[in-house]
Amino acid sequence: MRKNNDRTQKRESRKETLLETLKLPKDICMGALKVTLTGNREAWIENYRGILEYTEGRILLQCKTCQVCFEGSRLSIDYYTNEDMKISGCICCVKYSDGMNP
Amino acid sequence: MVELLKYIRGYLRIRVWGFSPERFMNLCSNKGILLWNIVREGDGYCMNVNLRGFWELRPIVRKTGTRVAVLERYGLPFFLPKLVKRKVFVAGLVLTLAFWFFSSDYIWNIEVSGNYQITDDMFQSFLKDNQVSIGMRKDGLDIEELEKEIRRQFPQITWASARLSGTKLLIDIKENDAPILTEEKEVSQGTDLVAEYDGRVVSIIVRSGVPKVSIGDVVEKGSILVEGRIPIYNEDATIREYSYVDADADIVMEHSASYTEELPFDYVIKEYTGREKKEHYVNIGGKDWKLPGDRPFQVYDSIIRESRPVLFEKLGIPVFWGDVTHREYLNVEHTYTVEEAKVLLNQKLRDFLLGLDEKGVQIIEKNVRIETKDDSWLLEGEFLVQEPAGARRDTERVVMEETEDKDSREEDGNG
Repeated sequence: MRKNNDRTQKRESRKETLLETLKLPKDICMGALKVTLTGNREAWIENYRGILEYTEGRILLQCKTCQVCFEGSRLSIDYYTNEDMKISGCICCVKYSDGMNP
Repeated sequence: MVELLKYIRGYLRIRVWGFSPERFMNLCSNKGILLWNIVREGDGYCMNVNLRGFWELRPIVRKTGTRVAVLERYGLPFFLPKLVKRKVFVAGLVLTLAFWFFSSDYIWNIEVSGNYQITDDMFQSFLKDNQVSIGMRKDGLDIEELEKEIRRQFPQITWASARLSGTKLLIDIKENDAPILTEEKEVSQGTDLVAEYDGRVVSIIVRSGVPKVSIGDVVEKGSILVEGRIPIYNEDATIREYSYVDADADIVMEHSASYTEELPFDYVIKEYTGREKKEHYVNIGGKDWKLPGDRPFQVYDSIIRESRPVLFEKLGIPVFWGDVTHREYLNVEHTYTVEEAKVLLNQKLRDFLLGLDEKGVQIIEKNVRIETKDDSWLLEGEFLVQEPAGARRDTERVVMEETEDKDSREEDGNG
């Protein structure tokens, strides 16, 4: 299991150096999450897979490689499409966790 | 803008609850159904979804085991059927549109610009003669023909352009700045200069014609001063023929002139009592509408102030409104004092003398007195003036005997 993990990590870093040298946008090529925060009131999120959990205090999103959790109060989703979404409310914490074991 | 589009296409506020609403949202976004304003409420979610997306929700709902309830409906697709039910409103709307379409076929305003010598009234009556008037149909107007007619009717207009701007007919004209030259008669019939009044010739300088008077002569009114018939003599000093010219000369004659001015003792002036009444009115298409009322005062004058709302002016709708202020006054009789009368009469005399001066009249002697006569002041002035003289009159033609006339013509031909 660990061996397998090591191998994927190695592959990832190799991919990253390749993208670095080719100067390609990482968010597209690696399927990485892109979060734009404006203060603690608004957040724009791109490159996600879907919502796992949505309450007033917590929004959990599934991405390609990880999960991200917005915590705060009075959180609401202003709009939600296939490409991007907007969260507004009072955000106090953005947490990343490994997607494999949430 | 986006809001407007959403409104036009219609959207719904729905409530989703059940087994896994999150999955419902994910599936929606995967299918390209836009969701917005998602808020958690109790055990479910409230969100907005557009109308087209709503029809595609059924399979998603079945798959995720959720339930959907419509809370509210927004947008034109829901508003319109409601609107159609209000029959009078729809009828009004249709009538308004019909009226707009109908009335835009007519000319509602005519604007003339660029006219200085030709007054607006002249132009209006010209337009009336050509059956161009406010309220006529647009297609009844031949613009090119109108332009031609303008140039034909008014020779001083060098350029005319008419165009329709909405319901407004704009006419631009350009007048000839230079004075119009009327062609002078090539062959002069000959004119004399005659005295306009009795008097004594003071100076005479003749440029063309034959002088009939000399300095110091006393002439009567109507007698010839310079004649436009110049005799041409034969060698034996007999007259062979006459040549006719326009007599031209500077003649100054001295004559006496009188001036009288009467000023009644009494005069009437308006004394305003300060009492005023205001009336409002609306003028639609040239007709006044106002509240009926009695004659405001026994004796009064009125000030009318009229204005037109900017909107109506832009649209060219002939609607004006304004107010009339009636001011009461009394006719009060006054009597001039001697000083007042003298000042007034002297002022009038001064104006008269100034008028003479402008005409180039020189005053040699002046004798003015102020008297009373019956019930008025009388100013009498006797003047001795020197004034340019000479009025034009056609020269009397002398018919020569035929034979001589023939001879002269032949000689002319040879010469």
